[in-house]
Amino acid sequence: MKKLGERKDLEACYLSDCFLPITNKLGLEEGFLSELTELHVPMEVTRSVSAALLTACHAIQAGVCNTVLVGGIEKMTDRWDKIRDDLMLLEDPWSYYAGGTPETNHELMLRAYIKKYGITGENLDKLNVALAQVSVKNHANATKNKYAQFQRTITVDQVLSARKAAQKPLGLYDFAPVSDGASALILTSEAVAKKLTAKPVYVMGYSSATDYLNFPARDDLTHFAATKIAMKNALKMTGKTPWDLQVVELYDQSTVMELVSLEDLGFCEPGTAWKSINESCSDYKGYYEINGNQLFVNMNGGLKADGNPLGATGGAQIFEVFRQLRGEAGDRQVKSDQKPPQFGCALEFEGFGTKAYVSILGREKDE
Amino acid sequence: MSSEPIERRVSYLGDRLKASRCKICGKEYFEVRDYCGNCGRKSFGKMASIDLFYEKGKLELCTLVKEPTNKFMKLGSYVYGIVSFHNGKIRVSGRLTDRIVNNGDAVDFSSLEGREVVPRFRRRYSVGRSDVVPTISLAFTLADEYYPHQEYTVVKPSKEYDVPGIVGYGVYTSRFRIKEGSLERSVPFIDEDAVTAAVEAGKIALIHSGVDSSLVGKIYVGSESNPYAVKPIASKVAQVLKLGEEDGDVQGVDAVDTEFACKAASSMFKDAASLVNYPQSGVQYAMVIGADNSQAAPRGCPGGELDVFVGYGGSAFIFGKYDVIAEIEGWYSCTSDTPDFWRRDGELFPMHGGRFTGDPAYFKHVRKATTKLMERLNLQAGDVDYFVTHQPNPQFPVKVAKQLGFKDEQYAVSLQVNKFGNTYSGCSPVGLAAVLDVAKPEERILITSYGSGAGSDAYLLRTTSQLVDKRQRQKLNVKFQAENPFLEYVDYTTYRRLKLGM
Repeated sequence: MKKLGERKDLEACYLSDCFLPITNKLGLEEGFLSELTELHVPMEVTRSVSAALLTACHAIQAGVCNTVLVGGIEKMTDRWDKIRDDLMLLEDPWSYYAGGTPETNHELMLRAYIKKYGITGENLDKLNVALAQVSVKNHANATKNKYAQFQRTITVDQVLSARKAAQKPLGLYDFAPVSDGASALILTSEAVAKKLTAKPVYVMGYSSATDYLNFPARDDLTHFAATKIAMKNALKMTGKTPWDLQVVELYDQSTVMELVSLEDLGFCEPGTAWKSINESCSDYKGYYEINGNQLFVNMNGGLKADGNPLGATGGAQIFEVFRQLRGEAGDRQVKSDQKPPQFGCALEFEGFGTKAYVSILGREKDE
Repeated sequence: MSSEPIERRVSYLGDRLKASRCKICGKEYFEVRDYCGNCGRKSFGKMASIDLFYEKGKLELCTLVKEPTNKFMKLGSYVYGIVSFHNGKIRVSGRLTDRIVNNGDAVDFSSLEGREVVPRFRRRYSVGRSDVVPTISLAFTLADEYYPHQEYTVVKPSKEYDVPGIVGYGVYTSRFRIKEGSLERSVPFIDEDAVTAAVEAGKIALIHSGVDSSLVGKIYVGSESNPYAVKPIASKVAQVLKLGEEDGDVQGVDAVDTEFACKAASSMFKDAASLVNYPQSGVQYAMVIGADNSQAAPRGCPGGELDVFVGYGGSAFIFGKYDVIAEIEGWYSCTSDTPDFWRRDGELFPMHGGRFTGDPAYFKHVRKATTKLMERLNLQAGDVDYFVTHQPNPQFPVKVAKQLGFKDEQYAVSLQVNKFGNTYSGCSPVGLAAVLDVAKPEERILITSYGSGAGSDAYLLRTTSQLVDKRQRQKLNVKFQAENPFLEYVDYTTYRRLKLGM
């Protein structure tokens, strides 16, 4: 029997919350965590779990510590009446001052995408349906995830009629909700991990990149440059290619983000993801089929249906990849050659693609 | 808590849309930058400041906002998107203003995308009654609609005149109207107020005059609907229009607000003219603005009788001795303590003295100032080509003009109350602008303002040949705004809502 780790083994804590000081007037979250854990170790706060994880990886690799807590919390509904103002002001201040909402940048990115790739007529209809299918797929996945915020399926017609009612490119079902949530994971050095479990999951590659706060000022309005850079660097760290990964938890704050991220992560050629989604989802087998490859995306329901408590979201994404790799994902377990996948990745954003974090996880090869 | 520094910073950059250009590589940035991201250290000191205030942009992409954030809630639905300047070198967020998007109205985005837009200086969003009113120019209107794009070109003066006079002027009224019977009145859009009208009028006057804004050494703004009891409109106008020599973020200009009901602006014409004529003043040009979102209580409430006549708009006149379009030949002012119309501090709407606003107030003072000036200058009614007076309603100016012996053709051109309503401080100046829009050189204009409280200022102006030369610079003249095909008419409820503002 393996020796169980204990709270007192934690040598540092990296806690993430996006705007708890605003929503809950809670400053110095580290002190709060110290009280809860009765620990007096170094603690730092980041804005996303992926950022916390990345920092924790650095600390362990530097040899500073062996066992750390990485967690995230967010309580957005406590400030329900002002949350959209806060979100937009923090995400893109000039756009906020000009009258932008948390939805507008997504819609403008979609308009830019349609224009850039000259998508018209029947293809435009297909693209719009593909975006609806993203949401339908994520809702369906969430019904198999007991932690998901939404536990019901929706239909393409529902998504489309919500857009029609709103007279906008995207509607209610295209966007992730406002959520409360918390997540945590223990990260250890390889040596410690092997003492604690027979099935450790490794952070094989991680990277982040940053882009302008002001979305309209970015060079390319149809893609997230930060994603491309972060993915490239994370892959380089692991020596893998995108198609070595079978499960991907990506940041679908809107259906457009899922579409664009498939391209930015290198799974689809620019301007083509809508086709792959549309073709895969017209006869959905549980995965996107892209150039003959199977890609399992947002198996936990994604941000759309699992929820998006900003500072905690990344933890849910990492958790899903972790469970899939360990073969513990229950009803939604994905299989590759009858076995749980060996590699997966999580893409998390802060802001509207202002920061992108890619974490590539992997387990040891089956013997 | 909008006295936070960020409010000042956003206004400083956003009101004028300040930007920077790297002189080495040409890259442009919205906001002010000390160095270029491309060129790094070597670009320090090589960043040119540019601004987009007089530029036109292109609406690249747009979408509809139907559920705004809290502070934009009063705007209802609006079109929002990305606007580019300088062939896409600069891209900013913006909303289309001056459009009422009703629930159920379909907006065809592709019919808007790609069209030229003009930045407009507006209120940014709603704040509490005790807060600073935030403003911004990230609001745009389509250049091919009510408000065309006009270049601002500084013209080197060619001639110095012996007496000072008007060197340029501008009138601004909004795109919206309420029409009741034969009376049309301008209605502000919900993000407009006396401050935005003052800036618009000043901007249009600068464009018309070709005067270098840094040579304007004095700005007077007359208004009785300043959103603040204490805080001048003139300082906002000076900062946004960059009046006076700019040094850091301070403008070398004397800015002051004046108040005397509807003659708050016209009263200052002589002060402005005197100032530019005083050799030691160092003031080459002085600007006088009258702007009002004319206040009136809703109908049925005390003071609600005014609601039938009030309009919205502003006028700006620049005075100087160079390239004068109308010389000031003389003036006469009179005053008496007559409480015919007033608004107590803290009250939202003015009260008036019913029938005592006529004979003992308006008529007495207008007649007195006009006849005294004519006596002084030894003039008969037939000696002037145009007579302009204050227009609180369509009847009063006609009646007083007839009493003074003026004929229909002398005063008809100036009667604008039927088109815009009573624009209070902007009212008789709008009439003057309408005359200047059509007058020929060497014509005499007699203008007599009236302000409740009460007093009148009468001026005699004589036009010069430059009046005609400068006319072509002004697309947004009075007629253009009065008869514009893009006017939008609103019902009474909408009019009250828009007038109340954000």
